[in-house]
Amino acid sequence: MTWSKQITQLLKDYNIRFLSYVPDAIGEQILKHARQDAFFDLLPLAREEEGVGVVAGQYLGGSRGAVLMPTSGVGNAVNALASLAIPYEIPLPMFIGWRGDLGEFNSAQVPMGQALRPILDSLNIPHFMLTRPDDVDTVVDGALKLAFAHERPVAVIISTQLAGWKDEK
Amino acid sequence: MINRLEATRYVVAQVTDEPIVASLGNAKFDLFLAKDRPQNFYMWNSMGMASSMGLGLAMARPQQKVIILDGDGALLMNLNSLTTAASRAPENLIHVVWDNRQFELTGGQPTHTAYRTDLAMIARGAGFTQVASAETQEAFEAAFAHALKTPGPWILVAHIDAQRSPGRPPKSATYIKHRFMQSLGIEPV
Repeated sequence: MTWSKQITQLLKDYNIRFLSYVPDAIGEQILKHARQDAFFDLLPLAREEEGVGVVAGQYLGGSRGAVLMPTSGVGNAVNALASLAIPYEIPLPMFIGWRGDLGEFNSAQVPMGQALRPILDSLNIPHFMLTRPDDVDTVVDGALKLAFAHERPVAVIISTQLAGWKDEK
Repeated sequence: MINRLEATRYVVAQVTDEPIVASLGNAKFDLFLAKDRPQNFYMWNSMGMASSMGLGLAMARPQQKVIILDGDGALLMNLNSLTTAASRAPENLIHVVWDNRQFELTGGQPTHTAYRTDLAMIARGAGFTQVASAETQEAFEAAFAHALKTPGPWILVAHIDAQRSPGRPPKSATYIKHRFMQSLGIEPV
């Protein structure tokens, strides 16, 4: 099973039906499986911050949701994470396609890519890096379990080491 | 001109157990004053997020109407949420926007609706087909009553005066959350 298929299966195992997303090349590898599975209900967003509000509403309405976003989207979502998901204790699994690190071609992606983990750290959002196929089941299973036990955002960062980087000089 | 508290009182008088998401500032202050009910979600910050949260709630609870009480300043901060909601188009969503053309809480600085911006036209452009604007309490009541009975999603832009609200809802975010979920019969999921 590919890493992306494993994640899709774990989302089902945790009964996470609603997937909100701003697309990126890494997240798309998960979404392509989810689109072919009637279990999932996908919501394209215009901006990542919306996803924090949407998942909060879904959770308060009795359903689990998760957000898929590129690295830049974390920057767009910071205040909603800090002022809604954390104080109101919303379980919010975030799947972040990492840009601005290993194999990056685009200098404008690098500052946010390097700031990603410090930003999550400063918000006390637990985050876990996916780098090796063998770790995917354990890390994603554990991250989802933590999100719903801790009732807070938890981030899974999908590295280019696992998902591949853009073939551009 | 509509008075926000009077119009909010009308809203809560029309609903039974429908959830209401209230944006930060005076929208939630007046909701608390009109009637503090467990089905009220009071947003203490997260400017702009009421529209997104209402969309998520409407997706999770298609069996009942979900009402958002928003402000012009907050909606202007998350205008993109209108395009998302219109594309999803949940029939049970009623998004009320109190438009007083100013950031009332911070000293009355004008928002863009004080000049050329028209939120009802933006909503139509975003893809909403059910849009109403109201200048009077009577027109607002008619529009809201109609929206409750007919499939949406609805955007109701209410042109209100600029009266500050003394209402102060509970401040504990987790209390608001747990009370809200319990009132909808939801265990933590």
